[in-house]
Amino acid sequence: MRAAALLLAVLAWPAHAAWTWDEALTVNSVQGAAIFPHIESANRQGVGVSGDTVGVVWEDNRDGSPQCYLATKPAAAAAFQPEVKLSTGECYEPVVVALDAGRFVAAWEEAGKVHAQVLPGGQRLQLSNTEAAQVTLALRGDALYAAWAEQAGRFRRIVVARLALTGDTLSVTSAQPVEAAMPADEQGWPALAVAGDGSVTVAWEDRRHRHTVPMTSHSRDGKSFAPPARLTDHKSGRVDGLGAGTGAMRPTLTAWGEQGIAAVWLDKRDFLSGYDVFAALDTGTRRFGKNIRVQDNFGDNMAQWHALVVGDASGKLVALWDDARDGTPDVWLSEWAGEAFGDDLAVPAAAGPGWQSDPVATLDAAGALHVVWLDRDEAAGTRIRYARAARK
Amino acid sequence: MKLIKIMLAASCLWAGTVLADPPKGYPFVNFDAGLKAAKASGKPIFVYFGRYGCAWCDHTNKQTFSDAGLKKLYSDHYALVYVDAESGKRLTLPSGERITEAELGARLQAFATPLFVYMTPQGEKIFQAPGFKTVKDFQDYDRYVRGGHYKQKTLLEFLGEKS
Repeated sequence: MRAAALLLAVLAWPAHAAWTWDEALTVNSVQGAAIFPHIESANRQGVGVSGDTVGVVWEDNRDGSPQCYLATKPAAAAAFQPEVKLSTGECYEPVVVALDAGRFVAAWEEAGKVHAQVLPGGQRLQLSNTEAAQVTLALRGDALYAAWAEQAGRFRRIVVARLALTGDTLSVTSAQPVEAAMPADEQGWPALAVAGDGSVTVAWEDRRHRHTVPMTSHSRDGKSFAPPARLTDHKSGRVDGLGAGTGAMRPTLTAWGEQGIAAVWLDKRDFLSGYDVFAALDTGTRRFGKNIRVQDNFGDNMAQWHALVVGDASGKLVALWDDARDGTPDVWLSEWAGEAFGDDLAVPAAAGPGWQSDPVATLDAAGALHVVWLDRDEAAGTRIRYARAARK
Repeated sequence: MKLIKIMLAASCLWAGTVLADPPKGYPFVNFDAGLKAAKASGKPIFVYFGRYGCAWCDHTNKQTFSDAGLKKLYSDHYALVYVDAESGKRLTLPSGERITEAELGARLQAFATPLFVYMTPQGEKIFQAPGFKTVKDFQDYDRYVRGGHYKQKTLLEFLGEKS
């Protein structure tokens, strides 16, 4: 009986333990009415925590063209250090993952190709030989992967590469498309996650069914991929001979627990209320289960945007997005509570008057949640904001 | 083998018919080209914010945009822009900000497709209208926009006076 009560208490833990937020900080040192920072990227990987160093990447046009930047700060510091520029040519959609001891791997699109680099100190590595974009990274132990969307004939397709790291030097061990056949329609926005068994899962947007469907595949060795499967269990089609199906876009993935993978994406199966946030869980079988709506009923009749999911080895799983249910866009989160996602909670510093949107996030080794978002102000310029939350 | 080729060709033809793209025969261009053309011509901008595979877009194309008079009206008097609601292609806003076509939906707080957005030749939004619209709806919107009524009254006020 006592054991059952203890188990119930553990399962109910997220409902009782609130996130306690540190004071929010501004990340970008340069702002202005004509400077437009963006933190959009494949798998929404704009922040990482390496040891006690937080790293944030973004793109802005302060130099007259889009360039990518990285800013870091020691976890205990009250301010970010001035950012460093990662690019020399037009740069878009940078991502970052944390190595150890304050080191990171960043990747980005520059001049139509995708690149990666260890920071600080590493040399840039061009990942793609042909036109490519929307690069993302995943790391677990010494297994480091990149994925991107690469031009293959008329359309782009998803390529996954295993990367090797020697000191601060990156190299490509292997790179291959998820499917050998040429794409029948556009593919893009890949997300990657490496599970505890070392297998790699990839999800992406795919238009082969004449509407946008998130697809997924996995590989035990990072080279040979299973045939793609739909992430969405809602099979829509033509309606009275019209169209091809409802849309779903921007899948994100995270490793979760010892063996699991979680996916979150934007889904328009209820096509009259904009995109909703949906999730699916793979508990280690390398098959995603039934789709789960993430946001609560207070988010009904309201479009959700910029969704992502972050998880950790302890089983913590948090989805974030923005929506304007309170009148203007705010950043919301919902935590997996064992059988469903819990109540929607506003990120305190990213809620209220004004336009707060575009969250990116990560969980650190201690389980603290690090969230970065855009705070848009047309007159003063957009600030990139950061806040850390811990359970108390 | 020949039979397989014929079947493949037939399936491609079928696939082509279900796409919800811009209506046929209209001179739709991408956002940047449309903004440039509008500034040069002084014509207002009509943005068709559609989604790949969208049934209501397909319905609107077939039921409404197939009207020859509407086609002439909008082709002659607007810079016609098509935006793909889920695309990662980039566009430049009048402010100079570069965003993806999908991000434009977030900025417009779009909740359904099709979404029709009317803009001044300088790219300032006049109003937006979601969902299926009739030929008469688009004729009314045209009078509201090109008649300059949006400068004095809301669309609802204009439509209320009209009826």
